Amino acid sequence: MNITPTLSQPFVLPRASARSIEDAVETEAERAIRPVKLDIRNLSVFYGKFRAIADINISIPAHQVTAIIGPSGCGKSTLLRAINRMTDLTPGSHAEGEILLDGENILASGIDVVQIRQRVGMVFQRPNPFPKSIYDNVAYGPRLYGIHRRTELDEIVEHSLQRSALWDEVKEKLNQSGMALSGGQQQRLCIARALAVEPAVILMDEPASALDPIATLKIEDLMQHLKEEYTIVIVTHNMQQAARVSDYTAFLMIDDERAGRLVEFGTTNRIFTRPEKKQTEDYVTGRFG
Amino acid sequence: MTLESPHGHIQARRGYARRKASSTVMLILTGLTTTLALIPLFWIIGYVVYQGGKYIDWSFFTQLPRPPGVAGGGVLNAIEGTVLLVILSSIFAIPPGVLAAFYAAYYPNTPLGIAVRFSTDVLSGVPSIIIGLFLYAVVVKVQGHFSALAGGMALAILMLPVIIRTTEEMLKLVPPALREASLALGAPEWKTSLSVVLPAAANGLITGFLLGLARASGETAPLLFTALGNEYFDFAAQVRSGLASGQNPFAILAGILGQPVDSLPLTLWKYAQQPYPERTHQAWAAALVLMALVLSTNIAARLWIVFRQRRMKG
Repeated sequence: MNITPTLSQPFVLPRASARSIEDAVETEAERAIRPVKLDIRNLSVFYGKFRAIADINISIPAHQVTAIIGPSGCGKSTLLRAINRMTDLTPGSHAEGEILLDGENILASGIDVVQIRQRVGMVFQRPNPFPKSIYDNVAYGPRLYGIHRRTELDEIVEHSLQRSALWDEVKEKLNQSGMALSGGQQQRLCIARALAVEPAVILMDEPASALDPIATLKIEDLMQHLKEEYTIVIVTHNMQQAARVSDYTAFLMIDDERAGRLVEFGTTNRIFTRPEKKQTEDYVTGRFG
Repeated sequence: MTLESPHGHIQARRGYARRKASSTVMLILTGLTTTLALIPLFWIIGYVVYQGGKYIDWSFFTQLPRPPGVAGGGVLNAIEGTVLLVILSSIFAIPPGVLAAFYAAYYPNTPLGIAVRFSTDVLSGVPSIIIGLFLYAVVVKVQGHFSALAGGMALAILMLPVIIRTTEEMLKLVPPALREASLALGAPEWKTSLSVVLPAAANGLITGFLLGLARASGETAPLLFTALGNEYFDFAAQVRSGLASGQNPFAILAGILGQPVDSLPLTLWKYAQQPYPERTHQAWAAALVLMALVLSTNIAARLWIVFRQRRMKG
């Protein structure tokens, strides 16, 4: 097992100095001291013979928001879905390389997918609450893991809804259907549902693309609070959103064989202001894509 | 306001009267054909209600048949038999049908998935009398007597393709995102299917079950060789005599399932060809009861679905 040495001490920068570090171009030394939550090494995902993403290397830091950006079809979602093995659901897919979650390779053959998905939660592009009550939506996950005591469930439901900033809007109507909420509320319900199983990492696949600007703002706000407790990886089409919400950005593009490759990874500030690669600069300045 | 386009290529007014006229003609035509298609339905319902209504009374539901040529009596045996056969066939057909539908819906391109769908199509094309004959050969012949059990099995085979097909379609309508949401929380596939996909598809499934039930409860042919018919079948009397002779409930149940039973379509078929006017009249009444039974289950199911949807919307 390859355990990253910095894991034992979560490294949280004070707010003021966070800015100045981000402003600097990341040095190898800085890269080494940041606690890495997810270490993606030489990751390739195949659908049948087709290679969707190729040789991806990203070290996703803990308690930060990492955005994955890139043009349509570059494998952003595939990369995201590989992190909690949702790619397994596509028949004929397989992954090569390693994804180390706290040093443990989640792509290894003996790993229990259920455990991975408990530690890595996911929020989808369109809000997809179950056709159940708000309460049962949030309690679904804990029940899977054997929690059935009403008092305990009540506590988890309230806590999760509070963390997803939905509690005050729904506390009077927990028994109503989750489908009756507005789009933005539904998405926050889905976030609460993901939080209820106490994951360490939350993957978000364009979580605001189906929402109006105000609901989008709420979700973005929420992410800033959530990153104190969780590590967040977000796929987004919207570069302004990536710039607003993320601390780190990975830029992917399609190569000649139509496989998605990592072009550049670094602090969001650097990627958007001083990209090293010409392709990144063209993309973030809107010259293509 | 001008209807001319800036470059004069499009003249919205050209041929307007002709287009409007042909639209009206088509509207009238579709209205007429719709009415035509509905006429047989209401004609049948109306005629059966008119003919059957004349001969229906309370004893029709509560008494066993009298000997041919004797007035009075009812078809209690057939009503009870129909209910029993419907329950039996649901038990035999719904669980395996739903499971097969899950397989066909989620593994459509595997050899077994293709086989399920192909054989379902073939099965739904098999004439129902052949299914009756088949059950005669493998159950009645082996057991040595006609039985409700064989009848229930024959109807179950008849229902199976309807149930598999409708369930499969309904499962495919459940958004894949719901399934993914559950799987992403770490739920195993069976748990996801059971507690997310199945409830989401429930309304459609119930409609499918009822279609299957309606089909089965109206069938005569497969019962000719299996349930046969039984003018003395009386559920309450069976239970009473069973209890009186100290049998345990399972033995009573086995006794009921092991004997021939009647059903409404079977009674209707037999009575309609007898020369006694009382029997012909009762055939009409049986037709009315059968129709009412199928219609009211359908309406009840639809009302229930509406009620559920209202509640889900909060």
